[in-house]
Amino acid sequence: MQTGNTRQAMAWLHTWLGLLAGFVLMVCFFFGSLSVFDREIDRWAIPETRFDPQPMPSYDNMLKGIFEKSEPDVAEYNQLMPIYHDPAAGDMTPRTELPPDEYWAYTTHRDPVLRMGVGFRVPHPAEADEHNHIHGNLTIDPRDGSLVPDDHLKIGSDWFYPLHYSLNLEWKFIGYYIVGLAAFFMLVALISGIWIHRRIFREFFTFRPAKRAQRKTLDIHNMSGVIALPFHFFFAITGLIIFASFFYFPVNSTMLKPLHELSEEIEASHKGLPHDRAGIDADIASVDAMIADAKHRWSERGMPGEVGFLMVTHVGDLNSYVSIYRAGSDRVALVGEGIHYKAATGELLREDPPHSFAEGAAEFLTGLHLQHFEHWFLRWLYVFGGLLGCVCIATGFIFYVEKRKSQHARAGSQGSRLTDAFAVATVTGIVVAACAMLLSNRLIPTDTSGKGDWEKIVFCSVWGLTLLHALWRSSPVARAMSNPAWREQALTITVLAVAAVIANWLTTGDHLIKTLFTERYLAVAGTDISLLITAAIAWVSARKLAPKPDKSLTRNLSTDTATREVGYE
Amino acid sequence: MSNALLFVVATAVMFLGMGWLALSLPSHWRQVHKGQPASGKLRITGYLAVFVSGGICLVADHPSMAVLVWFMLIALCAFLTAMTLSYRPALLRFIPVFTAA
Repeated sequence: MQTGNTRQAMAWLHTWLGLLAGFVLMVCFFFGSLSVFDREIDRWAIPETRFDPQPMPSYDNMLKGIFEKSEPDVAEYNQLMPIYHDPAAGDMTPRTELPPDEYWAYTTHRDPVLRMGVGFRVPHPAEADEHNHIHGNLTIDPRDGSLVPDDHLKIGSDWFYPLHYSLNLEWKFIGYYIVGLAAFFMLVALISGIWIHRRIFREFFTFRPAKRAQRKTLDIHNMSGVIALPFHFFFAITGLIIFASFFYFPVNSTMLKPLHELSEEIEASHKGLPHDRAGIDADIASVDAMIADAKHRWSERGMPGEVGFLMVTHVGDLNSYVSIYRAGSDRVALVGEGIHYKAATGELLREDPPHSFAEGAAEFLTGLHLQHFEHWFLRWLYVFGGLLGCVCIATGFIFYVEKRKSQHARAGSQGSRLTDAFAVATVTGIVVAACAMLLSNRLIPTDTSGKGDWEKIVFCSVWGLTLLHALWRSSPVARAMSNPAWREQALTITVLAVAAVIANWLTTGDHLIKTLFTERYLAVAGTDISLLITAAIAWVSARKLAPKPDKSLTRNLSTDTATREVGYE
Repeated sequence: MSNALLFVVATAVMFLGMGWLALSLPSHWRQVHKGQPASGKLRITGYLAVFVSGGICLVADHPSMAVLVWFMLIALCAFLTAMTLSYRPALLRFIPVFTAA
């Protein structure tokens, strides 16, 4: 095959895979960028939790009691219990009588609230070898142990964050597969894009705003793709890696299942950590003492730190053990340096050894994507990288339409008209939906039951409306002109974003002068400022998109008037 | 606090480096200066600055973190350089340069 032909083939691949995946990738990149500050958006959305991050509270005095009082989730019980339970062994154990098997608590340097969870055991399981856990998760205020209401949606970490990897489509995990496929297409689009882009270095810094629309769009598309290429590549591939073993290549739970289970058991016996319950009841010793010991051991290794993750396995059993992991806020890899204690006695069972090179590399790759580290500068750089990805995808859409719309107009085709309308809904539409959701969060009264569900409904219906709006206004594209919906939605973003900031001020009293200067609270200040910057960018874009008076038309009109005036005289 | 200062310096050095690399290209050189660039020298100085900036990142952070900051700084500063060239190329005159003999 000649080089010219390969390039054409690559261009074809880049165009169509890019277009198809672009609609999904835009969601991944935009909401992924917001997820960098998911905890901070949570603080904005749940004003009751606007206080400083707290260390892990005392287990003996606080967490223990909360764990013991927690119950399995009703919905999860109704869904999973009939699957896990063996009817031959007797009646289903009532929900509130399920015995706990596993406790965990998790916090980071950015969390004021503490996330906790209990895995409940099914006493008569149909398949005894399986995990068979029914969960009950909760969030507490670690200062006094009070529960944070569950129907207050954590918009950052429970809506925007999962949206970027699962599209919040939980049915048969379809969202994960769509995103995985799109991420794979993205890798193909990156490679084919490099292939067809002839002047990588010569045009590295090139953006010519004075050129015509098609040229300058391509400039921005190339530049935003190339200068952040390592970011785009590594985020697509590490995103795939994170989910590979669960969803995309689930060999551990399918083809290699027996091997995987055997390896799990061998690993457990090597570690000296009991794989199964002993069946003998036992009490738990002071976990606070174990935590103090673990902190001491980390200090001795030259890495003093706080507890990030705490877990009790086989709760209430003689074989129960407590695992304490260090919060990894000072490096890229995730929580680690686990130290395990026998729960009944507090005796040290095991200290995890330093990682092998392969484990270290894997943790680095997942850690660079999941970013649990404490590094505000890098966080903002990630937001920049993610938004540059959005720019790259958006300009890809625009270039696609600009290149074809005249041709389609002549041929009477609706192709670019439809593509453009979908692009409007994916580019400006998601921003409109996100801003509307934040605004609704401030306007719906706090005590409304199912407040979080209403916010989700607002998000989804507004997003749907932006698509309808874009389709409704799309007819000019069929005449090779541009869709006014771009400008109208940009204006909508301006209004909604400013309104959200004002609503936050009015409903909580937290305005920017307070959150920046008098009672500094940067999570809320940062969200407000980001909203205002979004509003400003949208406003400038809307002004640039304003229809320019058609010069030829104005000239005709003025000559017309002139003639008439002369005639009148 | 000293880390914040290191990042400011690393960003500034990276921006300089990207400026030199851009000016080594005749088309961008002509947006800022007259005549011809000493492309080779500018390119070497540019790459040098990019790596010096990486060195400063290494002083500030653990290598695993520094490498991420460095890659992201390349993207940020390349973008800023490109935008300056597009809208206010004259601003890049502050960058000391070699001219072709």
